[in-house]
Amino acid sequence: MRDSISKPITRVDAADKLSGAACYIGDMRLEDMLYAKTLRAAEPRAKLISIEYPELPEGYFVVDKRDVPGENRVKMLIDDQPFFAEEVVNYIGEPIALIVGKDKEVINKLLEDIKVEYERLQPILCIDNITAPPIYGENDSFADYSLNKGDLQKARAGAAYVYEGIYETGYQEQFYMEPQGVIAEFKEGKVSIYGSIQCPYYVKNAVVSCLGSAPEDVRIVQAATGGAFGGKEDYPSLLAGQAACAAIKAGKPVCLLLDRNEDLEATTKRHPAKITLKSYIDESCRILGLEADIALDAGAYAGISGVVLQRAMFAAAGVYNIENLSIRGKAIATNKAVSGAFRGFGSPQAFFAIEMHMEHAAKAIGIDPLQYKLSNLVKQGDRSTTNGILRDKILLPEMVDRVLEMSGFTEKRKSFKTERAVGALKGIGLSMFFHGCGFTGNGEQDHIKAKVRLTKDIHDRVEILIANVEMGQGVQTTMRKIAAAAMELPIDSIIFANPDTDRVPDSGPTVASRTTVIVGKLVYDAALKLKEKWQAGAASEVEEQYKYPQGFEWDNDSFSGDAYTNYSWGVNAVEVELDPITYESTIKGVWTVFDIGNPIDDRLVRGQIDGGIVQGLGYASMEVMENLQGRFRQRTSTDYIIPTAMDIPEIKSELMCEPFKYGPYGAKGLGELTLVGAPIAYALAVENALSINIDTLPVRPEHLMEVAADGNGY
Amino acid sequence: MAMDISFVVNGKRVNIYGNPTARLLDALRDYCGLTGVKEGCGEGECGACSVLVDGKLVNSCIYPIAKVEGKEVLTIEGFRGTEKYEVLKESFEAAGAVQCGFCSPGMLMAAESLLRENPKPDEVQVREAISGNLCRCTGYNTIVEAVLDASIRGEGLW
Amino acid sequence: MVEAYKPNDLKEALELLAFNDCTIFAGGTDLMVKRKRWSGLVPSFEKPVMFISQLQELREVTEDNGMLTIGAACTLSELIDNELIPEHFKTVFRQMASPGIRNIATIGGNICNASPAGESLPLLYALDAEVVLQSSCRKVELPIAEFVQGVGKTLLKSGEMVTAIKVPKSSFTSITYRKVGTRKSTALSKLSFIGLAASDEEGLQDVRLAFGAVAPTVVRSRDAEEDIIDMLKLGSLDISQIIDDYSTLIKPISDQRSTALYRKKACIRLLVDFIINSLAREVVR
Repeated sequence: MRDSISKPITRVDAADKLSGAACYIGDMRLEDMLYAKTLRAAEPRAKLISIEYPELPEGYFVVDKRDVPGENRVKMLIDDQPFFAEEVVNYIGEPIALIVGKDKEVINKLLEDIKVEYERLQPILCIDNITAPPIYGENDSFADYSLNKGDLQKARAGAAYVYEGIYETGYQEQFYMEPQGVIAEFKEGKVSIYGSIQCPYYVKNAVVSCLGSAPEDVRIVQAATGGAFGGKEDYPSLLAGQAACAAIKAGKPVCLLLDRNEDLEATTKRHPAKITLKSYIDESCRILGLEADIALDAGAYAGISGVVLQRAMFAAAGVYNIENLSIRGKAIATNKAVSGAFRGFGSPQAFFAIEMHMEHAAKAIGIDPLQYKLSNLVKQGDRSTTNGILRDKILLPEMVDRVLEMSGFTEKRKSFKTERAVGALKGIGLSMFFHGCGFTGNGEQDHIKAKVRLTKDIHDRVEILIANVEMGQGVQTTMRKIAAAAMELPIDSIIFANPDTDRVPDSGPTVASRTTVIVGKLVYDAALKLKEKWQAGAASEVEEQYKYPQGFEWDNDSFSGDAYTNYSWGVNAVEVELDPITYESTIKGVWTVFDIGNPIDDRLVRGQIDGGIVQGLGYASMEVMENLQGRFRQRTSTDYIIPTAMDIPEIKSELMCEPFKYGPYGAKGLGELTLVGAPIAYALAVENALSINIDTLPVRPEHLMEVAADGNGY
Repeated sequence: MAMDISFVVNGKRVNIYGNPTARLLDALRDYCGLTGVKEGCGEGECGACSVLVDGKLVNSCIYPIAKVEGKEVLTIEGFRGTEKYEVLKESFEAAGAVQCGFCSPGMLMAAESLLRENPKPDEVQVREAISGNLCRCTGYNTIVEAVLDASIRGEGLW
Repeated sequence: MVEAYKPNDLKEALELLAFNDCTIFAGGTDLMVKRKRWSGLVPSFEKPVMFISQLQELREVTEDNGMLTIGAACTLSELIDNELIPEHFKTVFRQMASPGIRNIATIGGNICNASPAGESLPLLYALDAEVVLQSSCRKVELPIAEFVQGVGKTLLKSGEMVTAIKVPKSSFTSITYRKVGTRKSTALSKLSFIGLAASDEEGLQDVRLAFGAVAPTVVRSRDAEEDIIDMLKLGSLDISQIIDDYSTLIKPISDQRSTALYRKKACIRLLVDFIINSLAREVVR
């Protein structure tokens, strides 16, 4: 089976993208289209005392809170974020109003002439020692969860060693190549939104609630999307609501595109995290228990922080079998841009913490870290952090062996030690991790309830109707492959257009590494159904809805049971060499083995692996985003740095396959997993090169200079 | 003060009476309708707006139209009809060097610029040549492989 | 919309400049970013703009009597490809920006921009380059260290433009250039260092050291260099003295790219490494 479905085919969207014919949102021109630009808050936390608008020429509009016909709240988990600020602003860059009109020059001038009077309030700018009044609730947390498994007291009592560490990770900006944008059109009582989006139905629900309109009066159409990585999960809902209000007010289509630097400053980023771990270890170096405290910097509004926090908490014990756990998590409100989804969704932070912790604990005890990790690995039949059963075979030991072999890890550790003695700072590190695929907890079965539809026309062409979007990952190709293979049809008899909510059912958002494994399986099942009732030359239609697989269970109140139905696994090694004078790093090699079940298309899989690894390496090494007094210091594309082709070495990857029986052709989730392990392996490699402990991401040469440079004054 | 600016885009003469400091990017996208030229950053960092001016790779977002007077501009729309483009396209497809596609037109122009100057580049030279073109999806290695592959399969074309 | 000029030759350009206070526009890779506005809008210039990159007189590289003259509007790529340009210049230029930008950006622009992080500057300081300033009525040459006054500040007067850079050709037996950037391409420098040394049969003759991005202007001290030469000649190398000397000159700031501490330490470490691994070898040649 692997051979046929895994064999790569030419991406269906490649030709249009290469030739420049693909139509992204910035390439769309509607008749009579107006432009909109956002008036943004200049203070991190302030009361809006007054806003004085200049006189508007004819055909120009201010669109603000007064123009929201429905709820001025972006519909998400907690509806706290306004489309347009009301009495207060809570972060620099928060939208207050749009100026809308035909001529950008005029709009710009109008924006410059607006006078906003603020009364400054004491902002909350860090996640410890909060003294200012809360932004949200009584304790300034959007989520505050506890998770207990076993009995930590027992672990404490039996511990021969106790090891504690604090691990911190910084912001990461998605830096999709295409900045965010939407176009809204209002025609005959109906709003249509075209946009660069991941989740058409999130946008739809948000616009429906914003306008207070009937669901059938809102239609969302995805434009070609130039990368997203989580960044276009929830933020487009805000833009779409704003643009919809503007289009209704102006009676003309309104284009709201962000410039890059505006996007950098105002849109969501990966949550900075501070994670404290304390492990209790017995005489034989078995981990008896783990205490974890996870604090996420959630920014000014709730967004999806609660779910990010859950994923981080459920990953807190890493790939280790720890029977007694006490995990506390908080998503703390601060006066900064809203933190949101980014490939990995809380898990890169949690895995960084536990992997470094394991390494440091082993070093402190005086044992080999790799052996320590291997001797504590989870295996099939063990319980997850939430007491779910790990049903499938876990290939980690074999995967570790293979990565050791591919990378020459053991020999390199030895030879680097010798080389370090003569001044060459070389190191190699290895990480182990997983990703729970699909929504966390009860998301799939209770909230999303994905639905897919396949239609067949009289020419026997089959159209896949789902709400999941092509954003670079290759879903247009994989879905076609799955449907074609299931029905034994040629690939070009399958149609899959960018989703339009007037045509596609809600198969859920394009997030959480769920598209192939969850939606792909539904497409597969629907295809089998369609094949069964196939009548050449006759039109027909089938639907399929998500069913929670039998035998799995989840209790959302106690966070117990199967947080995920399937897990993908990874082992990464990274080799670095540091400049002995400046501590600049050069990545010399990356070796990976992933178990993602059966790959649907080997070439697309490699694309996800390479891309995720490089984003992870950027996160680990150069992607610095600091916030000073509520303002991002790196707020231009000149200062927020992502890797170039010259920063990246060859990446050697292999797959091992433990199929998931509820995935299409045995596939499991892939997209996010690939980012999780490289930052850790990078940090461990630096650690190895310098014989120090690293507990902060990104690992900056600035930090290494402080901790590693000799003490003789320079 | 507006100036008459005349240049050739993809083989066709274009006359613009406009502000000489206007960005070539806007002239190409808005005036000529060549939307294959993308804006990713607007400050010369990302290369999505790459075009060739008199055969040299430039970032059109920081290139004023005054400077293209009398010159020839090649964008992806002009390049895509060529045999060289076909070779690069096939190599990009075969290597899996396209994902979201937003960097792709600029990336191809950077590849074309390299191959014109150096038809047989090595890996380091390819990395160097595309180093001003950011890609957030692929991690670059497939793109590097594609350009190397095109240089072999397209031997004699450049 | 402001006035714009595109003179056909230098003479015309200088005459225009004599009567118009202009923003001189060479490559424009910095100007277009600084003046950038909302996508689709024309970058804003308050003063009339004069384009100069088409001026043939400003695009030539010549060598005469041991003096290299580089036209101010030569792009970095043109210089990299030019046979008269020495290899150690090219090493610096090749690490600047990205291929697309190097095809646009000019050396004159990099100088006049007078950014502390201007990457051609440490090289030009170390080589005692002279900046040629021309107006309709005069032509003067100023040492680059005099010409650049501070962050974004130069001695360029209204009516003048930089037409060329003159660099005395000299040969060095040790050349070290290190740009410490935010990444390996398309990066601005956190700091940069150039160390040059010349020696002959009689031993070390010259040392030039310059540091970029660690003070408002490039850090170079002839006194300190001469002290080093003397120390080496006398065989009494006092590294801590040298470090003290340069520590007072190197005054970096912390910003969005790096920290003051890192910049300073990295500079001193590069300096010490150069002295120990390059200069000391020159001495025992």
